[in-house]
Amino acid sequence: MSALPRFFAAYQRRVTAELERLVPRDQGPVERAMAYTALAPSKEVRAVLVLACAELCRGQVERAVPVAAAIELVHSASLILDDLPSMDDAPLRRGQRANHLEFGEAIAILAAFGLLNLAFGTFARAYEPELASRLTSITSDAVGPGGLIGGQAIDLLATDQQISFETLERIHRGKTGALFVAAATCGALTAGAAAEPIAALTAFAKNLGLAFQIVDDLLDVEGDPALTGKAVREDARKTTFVSFSGVDGARQLAEELCGTADRALAPFGDKADRLRELSAFVISRRS
Amino acid sequence: MIENTPHPGDTRVDELRQQLRALGYLDAGVNRFLLAPARERRRPLAVALGAGARVGLLAGALLGPAAAIGVGARIPGLVSGVRDAAVLALYLAVLFSVAVGVLASITSLTAASMVRGAGQRFTSRARRVSSAAGWVVAIACLAYLTLWWRTANASFGWSAPIWTTAALILAVMISLLLGHAVRVTTLAVTGAARGGGSLPPSQTRSWPLVFAGAVIAFVGAAALLVVTTSAGTTLDPDRPPLTVASVGQRIRLIAIDGVDTTIYAQLKPSLRHLGSALGDVRAILSAQDTSDPARAWTTIATGVSPERHGVHAIETRRLAGVRGVLTAGGGAIGRVIGGATDMVRLTRPAIASRDERQAKTMWEVAEEAGLRTAVVNWWATWPAPAAGGIVITDRAVLRLERGGALDAEIAPAILYDQLRAEWPAIRDYARATAERAFPATIDTPISDILRRSGELDATIAGIARALPVDSLDFVTVYLPGPDIVQNALLATSDRGAFAPSSAAARIEAIRRYYLFLDGLLAPLLEADEGTVVFVVTQPGRVQPPGDGLFAATSAHGTAERMIDRSAKGTPLDVAPTVLNALGVPLSRELGGRSLGLASPQAARYVMTYGRPSTQPSSRSGQPLDQEMIDRLRSLGYVK
Repeated sequence: MSALPRFFAAYQRRVTAELERLVPRDQGPVERAMAYTALAPSKEVRAVLVLACAELCRGQVERAVPVAAAIELVHSASLILDDLPSMDDAPLRRGQRANHLEFGEAIAILAAFGLLNLAFGTFARAYEPELASRLTSITSDAVGPGGLIGGQAIDLLATDQQISFETLERIHRGKTGALFVAAATCGALTAGAAAEPIAALTAFAKNLGLAFQIVDDLLDVEGDPALTGKAVREDARKTTFVSFSGVDGARQLAEELCGTADRALAPFGDKADRLRELSAFVISRRS
Repeated sequence: MIENTPHPGDTRVDELRQQLRALGYLDAGVNRFLLAPARERRRPLAVALGAGARVGLLAGALLGPAAAIGVGARIPGLVSGVRDAAVLALYLAVLFSVAVGVLASITSLTAASMVRGAGQRFTSRARRVSSAAGWVVAIACLAYLTLWWRTANASFGWSAPIWTTAALILAVMISLLLGHAVRVTTLAVTGAARGGGSLPPSQTRSWPLVFAGAVIAFVGAAALLVVTTSAGTTLDPDRPPLTVASVGQRIRLIAIDGVDTTIYAQLKPSLRHLGSALGDVRAILSAQDTSDPARAWTTIATGVSPERHGVHAIETRRLAGVRGVLTAGGGAIGRVIGGATDMVRLTRPAIASRDERQAKTMWEVAEEAGLRTAVVNWWATWPAPAAGGIVITDRAVLRLERGGALDAEIAPAILYDQLRAEWPAIRDYARATAERAFPATIDTPISDILRRSGELDATIAGIARALPVDSLDFVTVYLPGPDIVQNALLATSDRGAFAPSSAAARIEAIRRYYLFLDGLLAPLLEADEGTVVFVVTQPGRVQPPGDGLFAATSAHGTAERMIDRSAKGTPLDVAPTVLNALGVPLSRELGGRSLGLASPQAARYVMTYGRPSTQPSSRSGQPLDQEMIDRLRSLGYVK
């Protein structure tokens, strides 16, 4: 199964509408570059995770929409930076030419910073100061040296290098896991969730994030560019989970991680079925 | 060259799985249980207290039942069944939860303070310190559980290797789990102390290493058990079977509490039966260190000291929800538990019972040797064992008075029906005898006391006579009357001394009671053909404790061999003397010696009689706990 779960559509519409409201499009090259990547068709898995966690913690989905959009803006910014020639030098993203190929490197960098600032500004504008402060803190940690930036830095330094499994995990914890965990936590916080459910959702997101990355590595080996929207065999110079365990082993580990993520939802009972659908989608996705 | 080719069927998946676990993945369980408070950004103190409370809960659940086993072994009589064990385990679980929770919090905060300021080496140092904290807790817990097991396994040590091995494996698992919990907690607190950043990733070993560590821990615990268990500490060595062929020699032991040797000497010419029974062949028993009747008479019945037999006082305490009792003999643990439970009003008074007795009485030994025995009204005989001869316990009179289903007051249970049928006659006879001896004519309060005591002694004598005495090899009867009388008439109070005339009247009343008792006991003291009658007395609840008397009489002079008249004995000598007279081998564990004339070499010996039967009693009726307390309070035994 690789079709998106049914509940995705409604969530995606709400997030897309919010992104269209937030992201300026027709004012100048930077704004156009921001919109080029942020509004490109995507699965918006992280944003959906925010809304599903908010709903699971008995919050109003509408209240979580701004933070879902902000998380998606952060992710878009990271993709622009990730594709730069000085980094992964990727030509294709979300089924279209990479941002720097369309607008040039300088504009692409500015667009990435624009999206990041838009995300943090959204927290401040959409929520009361105390919650906005916590959301900002969590998201900045996920972006900073302990998260996306740190993971990307280690990843760049490790290119063409033999790395340990622990280092590989550190890379993906920063590049993927940190934002998954932040998405789940922020969603729960908008619902006013207590420590216990947040702990459960953190365990869910952590395991799901790594499973997501392992499946990404598998798609790089076996995937179809027409489906993934990006070039395959791009990671040939890098050590991936597949390097350590082989294709079957990687798939097995990804399944176990999704299984663990599902078990972490046990305290929620049937109410967490949407998140279980999400983990089922992650393990079976082809794009 | 970077190896980027997939490995079909790679066998390293298991290794990767272990690494992922070490990095905090594939784990939706204990860490989440422990570290829910650490998932949010909180102060280290809050994280430490929250996680410590959870570690405490874990420790309570794991250690509470284990501790209940140990406390049950250390404090005889406390645990009388599964329900008691469960309630006690609950109490101890709460105790351990609080103690371990506090310790875990302190440990993690201390460790966090050691890591603070480690700079770039923070992660590695946090791992090392938290691992050290975890190992310290695991080793301490294992040592504690091992030593606890050594104390608790009163009946089997390495002589039961399967049980001991299973217990040690369980101890290792509990210890490793608690150590792991403390390690994780410490890691979380160090992370929080650093400023709320992400927790340092935990690092666990692969299962072969954990297994190897568990094996080493097991071997260490086993070695500790061997080192701390000396060869002589086995409490229940193999007990040889005792078999005695009855030679037709019947023994009757009449125990009288509250006999003053001076008054007895003055009245001796008037005491036809008692004077005869105590007259010629007797030994003086040195004073005991107590005036508590339950303690003193259990010492006489068992032939071992209170430290060995475990009955220390009439009045004990019972924990709420527990049928067993908390005695004064539980040592430091008993005192701590007693103090703690008193403080939170969890205890209520109880009366000494067979449950806390840890040594066999002489009638139990004789019964197991194949002789037919009966005991009437001895202290701490309730609850009567289902199989162990005739036992009319110290609660039997209450049960016969009140009727209803038995609660182990009389054994065998079939005897209850017979005694219930004879009860009206026994009661009427006792009442009439007492009223005839002490009519309510002159001094009503004194007469009331005499009559009440007399009725009680007459009732006990009546019950004893209702038993098939001629078919029994050994009959024991305890009479409390003289002690009750002297205690009621002479016990001092805050209101001042008795007037000389009143004191004289009271002494005279006591003399009258001796004369009454002499007539009452005539049938029991009569030594017919083939019967030796022993009489043993104690001074009762007086200060300072005085001497007792121990005598034997028989129809054809066989009693002369039973007690050496020149001997100066102790209360510990009664049981060996009686058992020797019955032809039962003496245990090396007995504290006294036989006072018989035969040389010690002539006696047969065994190493031990073993411990009393733990066979559950037949208990279907309503317990008479409160009624027993009320009765003893009215008789002056319980304040």
